[in-house]
Amino acid sequence: MELLGLSAREIAAGVKAKKFTAEEAVRASIERIKRYDKKYNAIVALCEEEAVASAKRVDEAVARGEEPGALCGVPYVVKDNFCTKGIVTTCCSKMLKGWVPNYDATAVEKMKEAGAVLIGKANMDEFAMGSTTESSIFGATLNPRDRTRVPGGSSGGSAAAVAAGYVPVALGSDTGGSVRQPAAFCGVQGMKPSYGQISRYGIVAYASSLDQVGPLAANVGDLALLMDVLAKGDPNDTTCDAYERPSFTGAAAKASLAGKRVALLTGYDRGSLDAPLSAAIDRAVEICRAEGASIIDVKLPITMEHSVACYYMVALGDASSKLACYDGMRYGHHADGRNLSEMYKKSRMEGFGEEVRKRILVGTCILTRGYYENYFVPAMKVRQLISDEFKNLFEEADMLICPISPALAYKRGLGEKDPVRMYLGDVFTTIANLAGLPSVSLNLGFTAEGLPTNVQLLAPRFGDDGLLCCAAAIERAAGAPHIAELTEDD
Amino acid sequence: MKREVVIGLEIHLQLKTRTKLFCSCSTDYIGATPNTNVCPVCLAVPGTLPVINDLAVDLAVKMGLGLHCDIQDGTRFHRKHYFYADLPKAYQITQYEHAIAQGGYLDIIAEGKKKRVHLDHLHLEEDAGKLVHPTADGRLSGAAYSLVDYNRGGMPLSEIVSRPEMNSPAEALAYIAQIRQLARYLDVSDGEMESGSLRVDVNVSLSNPDGSLGTRVELKNINSLRSIGRALEYEIARQNRVLDEGGELEQETRLWDDAAGVTRSMRSKEGARDYRYYVEMDLAPIDAKPDYVRRIRESLPEMPWDKRDRFVSEYGLSLEESQQITEQREVADYYEEIVKAGAPAAKAANWMRTEVQRILRDDALDITEFPISARRLGELISKVEKKELSNTQAKDVLAAMYGEKLSLEEAMKKCGASGEKMTGGALEAVVEKVFASQPEAVDAIKKGADKKGAKVKFLQGLVMRETRGSADPAEVARTVAELLK
Repeated sequence: MELLGLSAREIAAGVKAKKFTAEEAVRASIERIKRYDKKYNAIVALCEEEAVASAKRVDEAVARGEEPGALCGVPYVVKDNFCTKGIVTTCCSKMLKGWVPNYDATAVEKMKEAGAVLIGKANMDEFAMGSTTESSIFGATLNPRDRTRVPGGSSGGSAAAVAAGYVPVALGSDTGGSVRQPAAFCGVQGMKPSYGQISRYGIVAYASSLDQVGPLAANVGDLALLMDVLAKGDPNDTTCDAYERPSFTGAAAKASLAGKRVALLTGYDRGSLDAPLSAAIDRAVEICRAEGASIIDVKLPITMEHSVACYYMVALGDASSKLACYDGMRYGHHADGRNLSEMYKKSRMEGFGEEVRKRILVGTCILTRGYYENYFVPAMKVRQLISDEFKNLFEEADMLICPISPALAYKRGLGEKDPVRMYLGDVFTTIANLAGLPSVSLNLGFTAEGLPTNVQLLAPRFGDDGLLCCAAAIERAAGAPHIAELTEDD
Repeated sequence: MKREVVIGLEIHLQLKTRTKLFCSCSTDYIGATPNTNVCPVCLAVPGTLPVINDLAVDLAVKMGLGLHCDIQDGTRFHRKHYFYADLPKAYQITQYEHAIAQGGYLDIIAEGKKKRVHLDHLHLEEDAGKLVHPTADGRLSGAAYSLVDYNRGGMPLSEIVSRPEMNSPAEALAYIAQIRQLARYLDVSDGEMESGSLRVDVNVSLSNPDGSLGTRVELKNINSLRSIGRALEYEIARQNRVLDEGGELEQETRLWDDAAGVTRSMRSKEGARDYRYYVEMDLAPIDAKPDYVRRIRESLPEMPWDKRDRFVSEYGLSLEESQQITEQREVADYYEEIVKAGAPAAKAANWMRTEVQRILRDDALDITEFPISARRLGELISKVEKKELSNTQAKDVLAAMYGEKLSLEEAMKKCGASGEKMTGGALEAVVEKVFASQPEAVDAIKKGADKKGAKVKFLQGLVMRETRGSADPAEVARTVAELLK
């Protein structure tokens, strides 16, 4: 039986129906990684033994006739900033090289309970800071659609692993677009749920008020399935809402746009987008209209003008705070010094890479007296204004369509050559994090050169189910992306 | 020139919870093996998040209400950043702009005068760990290395910040004592300075000639009430001396060196840290809705000062007596039970302050460990009131009840104070015994040498004492006279 290219739902159903075993599914996944990943570098730690053992346990449970979970036997990978008990978790940084947590992130625990099998840890930008997955100490990940291009970041490894057909689903974290942008670059579907939808416990923090766990998959139905598994209240994370969630798979199965009010973002220079991305937006709007939605043009003046600046104020201030615990004292990289202060400086200088150090320094500056009042406090006020702008927008509309990124997947090395352009590339993704909104990156086919095109869909906070319902309808019309054809040669 | 002393205090109270402020580690750290009361959360292991201990919030609100503060809804925590080995996250989670309890006041009595001290606020925060330096004096200087114990890290503290309204060391000490008493009444904290569950930072300055506040000096590291008094006296004298000599004071933090009896500079204003306060986004704001605050308010016991004043009006005690008896809530409760058992209030107060206190002090007991029930003690005191026992007898009975664990009845029998009159043969036996012990006096009387009858009186007195007052004096006189024949 050919397992490659099956969705998570198909694999779980197949294992349940005993058409094939979880072990077979897991071995197929591991073999593909072993065969191709030397070239693509999406996986930084493969846990073959643990995976096979877990798969066998799933098979035994199925054989005993126990009720298998929704993801029974489904192989998956997590970004390397998810804590995994007994398995290295490094954030792809020298700072945590070789660190093995003694607990599982809540998201990893939920996946385990649902019968999913962890295959490995996915590559990422160091401490989730970057848009290209080039700042990892394990080296850059290559885009499975085009190896001269980056897979996006910072969950580039997770997106590439799904695009490459290693696994049907993967988990990433999204602080300012880190799930959606790599999903767009790699040609898969990615989602950042509403803030408070999924527990952050066990995710090595970048910025507490922006971070959210996000699923990646080849289709919207699998995103919804992961949401059903992951979106639960958690006593270990008081920012994770305890409300009763709707059925996300139920919402996605409806796949309807009839009567929906869809807002199209205007008021920015459409000509600045790469042409295929502008075309993708037009196509999405056409589909919405054809499926019975009404379209209105909207502008978000404050959001478009200030979101990137606001995002970097909030994110970097928070990052400097959350990354202060890496002081060489209890875990992670340690350097000796003649005194405490020198020990801290050397440990942090040696342990963190350049991008992380840069962001910590800027963040520390932002929180310093004087700068705090002049930069950070206004940024927090702007954040509120952005939220308000969306609140007003979603009184008139059920969903917003806008780009994910102004550009198709970048050529490798851009981050070094033009960091400001790279930061500005976050303009459309950061807004969802600042306002706590759910957002999906939806593939809309490929260019003639085979590069993925896409749109971003946003919905009101905790309107994740409605968002998946609309996304599934557009996907049905546009077609879900297929996995990439990989090559072993150079 | 007279300069007025201005003192403000910051008191850290360790809250009485079983678990830490943001995780479920035990708070029972005294004597625990270092780094055993720790978990991923309080060690700031990557990926962990704090979860607020609801009981700590309850206790802080309780204390805030006791201090007449306004309880705020939706208050937040902040992160206070600094790098130090005992601070695992490199920030302390504390309340900064939005303390849970704002304003408030505390009435104190110092040197016989009542005074109202206003508070700035009360906030919640976590404690840091502890550094252990392997030097003889336990200080950092000269240590080749230092060890860190994180058992204390994350302990729940409430910090009570007063306005600078105290004008003498005596007022400062009275304020601390009153806070400690309140904390114990509310069962919010043990309030013990020796074990560190009550810690005080002192701000002291001298007013300028125009009445404005002078340069403020902060004193840290003071571990007892006595030391606080000494440190204040020293620091006030030092500041006066500097100013008298025409010098200027520096705004600084000074440490109290108890052995040397001096304060020493620790860091100046220039060296003050910028803590980069930042909202703690990992914790949702605290829900302290009016309903919740009302429930806590209703659960509050009688305040110590109310009890003190009530004892004065209800039992007719002097303020001083009442203060002494209400100092500890359990002592006050015990006292009220004695009174309920029938003992007159004034006599009961006297017994509490003398006999009971003596036993407690001598044997280092807490009233809760005192084996004699309030009801029994009440009965004993009422027997004195009814003249069934003399004061002396009653004290003996109490000693027997306590020392030999006898019941009231057994103790009375043992002391010959069972209430039965000693007459007839029993009395004669006692008289014979007294005579036997005083052969010279007996001899002198028999020889007619006791012209004034003093020796007879002496023997009668001895008999009375021997019978512990249970014999009728007239019968004693008669019996002595008969047996002398």
